[in-house]
Amino acid sequence: MNPTDILLEYWPRLLDGTLMTIKLTLLGAMIAAIVSPFFALVRTQASPVAQAPLRLYISFMRGTPILAQLFLVYYGSGQFRPFLQEWGLWGFFRDPFNCALLTFALNSTAYQTEILRGGIMGVNQGEIEAAKAVGMNRITTLRRIVFPHAYRIAWPALGNEVILMMKASALASVVTVFDIMGRSRQVFSRTFDFSVYLWAALIYLCITAIFVLLWRLVEQRLSRHIAPKSSAHSPKETSV
Amino acid sequence: MTQPEIIIKAEDIHKSFGSVEVLKGISLEARKHDVISILGSSGSGKSTFLRCMNFLEIPSSGTVTVLGEKVLVRNNKPQDIRQIEVIRSRLGMVFQQFNLWSHRTVLENVMEGPIQVKRVPKPEAREKAEALLVRVGLEDRMHMYSSQLSGGQQQRVAIARALAMEPDAILFDEPTSALDPELVGEVLKVIKSLAAEGTTMIVVTHEMAFAREVSSEVVFLHEGRIAEQGAPDEMFTHPKTDVFERFIAKVR
Amino acid sequence: MFELLSFGDAGWGDEMLRGLAITVQLAAVTLPVGLILGFLAAYASLSHARPLRFIGYSYTTIMRGLPEILTLFVVYYGVGLLLNALALWWNPESRGIDFSPFAAGVIALGMVFGAFAGEVIRGAFNSLDLGQAEAGRAIGMTKIQIFRRIQLPQLWRFALPGLGNLWINMLKDTALVSVIALNDLMRMTKVAVGVTKQPFTFYLTVCLIYWAMCLASEFVLAWMERRANRGIRRA
Repeated sequence: MNPTDILLEYWPRLLDGTLMTIKLTLLGAMIAAIVSPFFALVRTQASPVAQAPLRLYISFMRGTPILAQLFLVYYGSGQFRPFLQEWGLWGFFRDPFNCALLTFALNSTAYQTEILRGGIMGVNQGEIEAAKAVGMNRITTLRRIVFPHAYRIAWPALGNEVILMMKASALASVVTVFDIMGRSRQVFSRTFDFSVYLWAALIYLCITAIFVLLWRLVEQRLSRHIAPKSSAHSPKETSV
Repeated sequence: MTQPEIIIKAEDIHKSFGSVEVLKGISLEARKHDVISILGSSGSGKSTFLRCMNFLEIPSSGTVTVLGEKVLVRNNKPQDIRQIEVIRSRLGMVFQQFNLWSHRTVLENVMEGPIQVKRVPKPEAREKAEALLVRVGLEDRMHMYSSQLSGGQQQRVAIARALAMEPDAILFDEPTSALDPELVGEVLKVIKSLAAEGTTMIVVTHEMAFAREVSSEVVFLHEGRIAEQGAPDEMFTHPKTDVFERFIAKVR
Repeated sequence: MFELLSFGDAGWGDEMLRGLAITVQLAAVTLPVGLILGFLAAYASLSHARPLRFIGYSYTTIMRGLPEILTLFVVYYGVGLLLNALALWWNPESRGIDFSPFAAGVIALGMVFGAFAGEVIRGAFNSLDLGQAEAGRAIGMTKIQIFRRIQLPQLWRFALPGLGNLWINMLKDTALVSVIALNDLMRMTKVAVGVTKQPFTFYLTVCLIYWAMCLASEFVLAWMERRANRGIRRA
């Protein structure tokens, strides 16, 4: 079969897979995005002892293959089946999509926490002092000064993390989630036509390209207060 | 004649960083309309002392009272932490490095404190902020970001930001030290105009002429203690201590 | 539980150890392949020749945007098909060649490593101080001497942290080859799970083994960075 025929015949499956990949990536990244600011605060402000469990978790998530993490959650939960059934959680862990989502969210939380920690540490101390000096309390200072800056600093790295997340989501196919990769494997096992993998590659590249574009647009908006060097001073006041 | 009310009263302020004692018991009173200049060579503890008054630096021990709101510090622990935010909102602060919030426009910088801390309604805060920016001569810069301003302009915004909180006194931490020489004048002009209106101020500075011309009182710190204190003319013409005499000779 | 992980007939210790050996071999063989590809990619994307630059840019961009497992499948099945076609063309009687999963792993992981390493090396090259190369020219060193004696040692220092990260990522990515049936650590674990029905125990163990390898790598890398930064004051 020639490559276009494959696409013509199997495009609904690939489209379905694409939606699954997007769903898995965005949900995973979003869950991590909700949790990570709190963890990042713990990482920057709590005592070393209070941080210890968090650091252990982050180190584990960064030091082990996602595939192994996925197997640990999906197959590993089977070992506790009676227990999980008793708690009514077995239904959740039996579904490969849930397990993949949980794994990716846990993994991305670790990475996003560290990225955001870097952002928070990069905030100019003087601006935080100025907030204290007008009498802002801790929460207001975090909300109005620290996090806006931290997210601007962390934005490009967070974008990279979402792309890594999307690439990692292809692993879900190994536990029979039908994302782009899963659908491609399915089509390949039926047709033995290798070109389906090339189509899959093209879809992944397109998603990445569109995502990078959107992310940059937001980045420009976040950075609008940073003047290009040339216009830093108005002509009237050229300083030495 | 009755004296004006006491705005700030700092009593026996001590501060150590590790084993180094930077402030060895300093007391100071600022009454309404006072302009107090704090002088001293670098390392004399003058900035630290100023920052202790609004608890950006927590003193090791001592008491700060601002219009009856009192915070006692013992063993590095302030006894009433909630008072600190009240004190801070009553004292304005202007920093050496301006410390404008770089992600907000000039106007937003001035509106932020009143809205977030004093819960002033937005339109009101905006009107007031615009008036203050006119006053410091920056009405045409309102919608710019700090990165688009010169140092002198940034410092004038910072002063407007402090004024927006309607503070009972303003603390200045070397407000002109980070500026190019030709930009110092515009900032001093604004500070002088505040002094002329009777604003209570404590100014840590290196500008001798300014200290002499504007202050009602000069305090000279040396090695963590007040070495000399008094009316500016008297002090500059008849220094009582060797250290202060050497200091003014060197700076001049 | 410890019995399951012990060595000998009763436990799976020796099987997993054999898997671990394959994993380490795979990573160790991939590293030089990836580094060479990385240098080539950096060379291409820094080249003055436009087509070369285009090739370098396309390679790094495409490889970095694809899921590693997809790259692995493309290499495994694609190169496999290609070799078979070649074999049939050469000798129509042949039964085709078996493309080994190990070779596919080395090529795929090496290509991924090379794409990221290309960017790291390019970045390092751009942060080299040009004045030092000029100083070399001023005393009459040749281009090659300047590269070997002045630029390469500094390039190494700038690129080391980035390459270290890539090594750790690659070490973790080796787990993917278990999907194309290479008997690495991950696959041996899967076999053990199939027999013992103790998935959590075994997958946790395998996680701990990878974790230990990554921590050890980080430790060694930190030491190498300290060595590479001798004589440099940190800003």
